[in-house]
Amino acid sequence: MILLVGATLVALQAPAQGIDPRLERLDSITRPIVTALVDSARGAALPTEPLVQRALEGATKRAPADRIVAAVRRLAIDLGHARDALGPTASPTELGAAAAALRAGAHPATLTELRRIRRESLTVPLAVLTDLVGSGVPVDSAAAAVLSLAAKTRDADLVEFRRAVERDIALGAPPASATAAAAAVTAEATAVQVNAGARQQRPGRP
Amino acid sequence: MGARAPAAQTTGTIDVGVSSVRYDGFLPSGAASVSPALRWERPAGILTARGTYLRFESGHRSLQSLLAGSFLIRPAAHRWRGALGGSLGASRYLDFASFWHATADARLLMLGADRGVWIGGTAGRTSYGRAARPVTAVGIGAWMQRSQVMVGGSATRSFVGDTAYDDVVSTAHTRRGPLALDGSLGARFASRGGGRGVFGEASATLAVGERTVLFVAGGRYPTDPVSGSVAGRYVSGGVRLRLASPARLSARTTIPSASRPGTPADGDPVADLRLEVLPRPNGVVRLVLYVASTSAAGAELAGDFTDWQPLQLRRSANGMWETVLAIPSGVHRLNVRIDGGAWIVPAGLTRAADDFGDEVGIMTVP
Repeated sequence: MILLVGATLVALQAPAQGIDPRLERLDSITRPIVTALVDSARGAALPTEPLVQRALEGATKRAPADRIVAAVRRLAIDLGHARDALGPTASPTELGAAAAALRAGAHPATLTELRRIRRESLTVPLAVLTDLVGSGVPVDSAAAAVLSLAAKTRDADLVEFRRAVERDIALGAPPASATAAAAAVTAEATAVQVNAGARQQRPGRP
Repeated sequence: MGARAPAAQTTGTIDVGVSSVRYDGFLPSGAASVSPALRWERPAGILTARGTYLRFESGHRSLQSLLAGSFLIRPAAHRWRGALGGSLGASRYLDFASFWHATADARLLMLGADRGVWIGGTAGRTSYGRAARPVTAVGIGAWMQRSQVMVGGSATRSFVGDTAYDDVVSTAHTRRGPLALDGSLGARFASRGGGRGVFGEASATLAVGERTVLFVAGGRYPTDPVSGSVAGRYVSGGVRLRLASPARLSARTTIPSASRPGTPADGDPVADLRLEVLPRPNGVVRLVLYVASTSAAGAELAGDFTDWQPLQLRRSANGMWETVLAIPSGVHRLNVRIDGGAWIVPAGLTRAADDFGDEVGIMTVP
């Protein structure tokens, strides 16, 4: 309650830069506080859309005002930590995925290493990392697997790797073992394609 | 308990196309073809069965069939792999004698993070009519992957009966979303009875739906004394239809929720719901919610891509509710509810705490 009052005082003092019309769905107590948090994030050059969406999620789920405010504030902090790990050039979607990965327990050093080794977008590798941890894979095992694949694996193959891990866990495999095994075969898939292509015909070749 | 191998995927396709082809020593001809194929795939092996019915504008017909596969073997030294493969094929044109072949391949591969090399050999038999001839080949090759592009090269020396030839071939493959491009360029030399010269082919495939791919291809290919195909030039275009995959149908009912950590106990309504996420090539995503209860009057979905406004799903079949939305690639949060009940996470999505005392589903769109 004290937190809510304090946040309200801050909101009343901080000039709003224009209220997102979607936030009209929030009640009169929550709206100015969330608006102030969004403005503050904008001032810090953090993406604001995830914050707005988190507030809207709380509104749809009819969450109490203090929980909505706490959720938006926590996400703003996570986005800041994500940018510290990925650097200032990270895209908003990468920051959102990184924030989710950090919240799931990934180490900031893992995110920094991902940035270093992968040229393409980190959104899918980070999402896969978050999914693996959410499926019960130990954080270190999940991070090791994603890092081993991130440099050379396409987004679609990373998604397929995650599905393979999920299937194996559902079939009873220990999460860490399932992850290591799936990462190993994903990395080897190219070799099979090269060999099996020996007599592959082009489509439509008469 | 050790990890079990990932499940196999089986897909069936049928190619329907038209071509303009000119075999060496023959006049150009138009042709129409139908090619059904079945592909069984695991991370460590592939098996393909394919048949081709070709009808030329003269009315003459050709039938071809092929069964080919390769599988990896993992010895103790982890950077090395063995691969065994094989190929069985047959073809027939008009009243000419049939060609058939049966060959086995063995390769030794050394794998790196994004590259590899191999050395291998092939042995077998080929026959035109009753005259069977031995087939022997040795070769080396290498491949490398950079970002979305994979390039490779190989050099082989082949002996088919009295025929002998060397082939050097380079290949390239890249994929950009729904578009895949393949090309090859090679040369045959030191040939005795196998023809010689430069050859090359290219193809482009474009996925235009979940089960439809358009393709164009063309080029020149050399004589293949093993399968009996004559060298020729061609241009082709057509459509590839992917038939229902048994692996995909069975996935709707797999993943028993009780085996997943943190899943609800038996009897919870979540266990009766499953969401299937089907990204399409044109940036839209088809979401299909399977509801075990056939008495449900309405199903809704809300997520960050709807601004968390409840979206009524359309009933498409008994127990199936769906919608098609433009959802950008990235990580998304969503929940579903039945008949205005509580917002829940259906099976098929990763669960996470939602900061509001309940759970939210996480969906990744590549």
